[in-house]
Amino acid sequence: MTEKKKNREKLTQELTFKALKATTKGLLIYGIYAVASMFLTPISEIVPNFQQTIEIFVIVYILLMIIGELTAKTIYQFFFNAAKALFVILYLIFSLGGGIVDMTFQNINLTVNLQLFLVVAMLLSLLGLAKSVLQAISFLNQREENAHTLASPHTSC
Amino acid sequence: MIIPIRMISIATTIFWLILIGFYASAVYSVKDIHFGFEDPQVGMASENNMLISLSINVDNKGYYNIGSFQTSTKIHDKEGFMITQGSTLIPVIEKGRQVTAFHNVTVNVSDLMQNNQEYLFNDAELKVHEIVGMELAEIIPVQASTNFSVPWGAPLYNFTLDEIKYEAHNLTHTTANFSLSFENHAFFSLDGSIQIYLYSSTNVLISEGQTTIEASQQTPCQKCVELIVPTAGITEDGHVEVFLSTIFLKIGPLVFPFD
Repeated sequence: MTEKKKNREKLTQELTFKALKATTKGLLIYGIYAVASMFLTPISEIVPNFQQTIEIFVIVYILLMIIGELTAKTIYQFFFNAAKALFVILYLIFSLGGGIVDMTFQNINLTVNLQLFLVVAMLLSLLGLAKSVLQAISFLNQREENAHTLASPHTSC
Repeated sequence: MIIPIRMISIATTIFWLILIGFYASAVYSVKDIHFGFEDPQVGMASENNMLISLSINVDNKGYYNIGSFQTSTKIHDKEGFMITQGSTLIPVIEKGRQVTAFHNVTVNVSDLMQNNQEYLFNDAELKVHEIVGMELAEIIPVQASTNFSVPWGAPLYNFTLDEIKYEAHNLTHTTANFSLSFENHAFFSLDGSIQIYLYSSTNVLISEGQTTIEASQQTPCQKCVELIVPTAGITEDGHVEVFLSTIFLKIGPLVFPFD
């Protein structure tokens, strides 16, 4: 009975710690976004839907990050991390329209070529994706090793 | 495996920070770049060549250099036929520096009017396609383009040759009197001469004469022309060929039939 209680307490502590960590990370990213959005206000006035586009990105990114943190030390954490990296790639492609951003302001047509940014960002996201896959492999490997060690305990003389 | 993964994590984070920091600062620094476009100056550069000169001032107070600053102008007529084009390139505008450049576009007025005499006699609208491009921080290509119209004033607007009136000069010759009138709607003055050749219905030159013209911008001009014509050569109909010659402009022949 005492053992069960101890385990429950440990699990609660672990969950609370995960939740706190996730909240802190989420708040930190939102704080960075809040500060950055002040500087981005002039761009929002020129580019329609710029604010909404960034907001949706930040919300989904924080959501995936919180879920990833809550599922820490499980294989699901790496699925969510990979999903986060894939989301960044797809979101950049769709929101930047392949790297060429066109906007019309009064009678002036403005074109910004962000293809280089897109390529570098996609490569970094792919690196993030590869990292998640490697972490998942490492995690499974570690778990297998632990299970093997428990199954055949080393006997000393 | 943990160490390589950690190294990838650190490297990815550093590269993300550099990428976002660089692009954000490059875009943000646009607010510190000031562009000044003065009103275009129009004048005659040489014979038959009209020069449109636009003064461009770029004050780069941003964080980075500006690369390949380019201004390009294309002028079309209402049918879309390209009349002229011009381009000006400033390879690099270093940060903290102010650069003034002149964007010049030349139009051969004589060619324009010979190809389409509408521009000589009728006011029109010319379509201008203007492109300004640059590379922010010498890496991010940005281009702004716009279309607008500019009015074209005809130098010989409402050009009219009145009916020829004949008066006896002597036994063999007759005086042909007629007046010519027009309004100079062009941006330049027409100071020069008009050469007139009178042809019979059989295309035989029967007389020629010359008159001076002085027509500043937006002013009407009327001149009476008197030609001595051999009486035997006079026909009921024929045509008049007009050659206009000013300091900058030489146009002709402009053919006007009479009957």
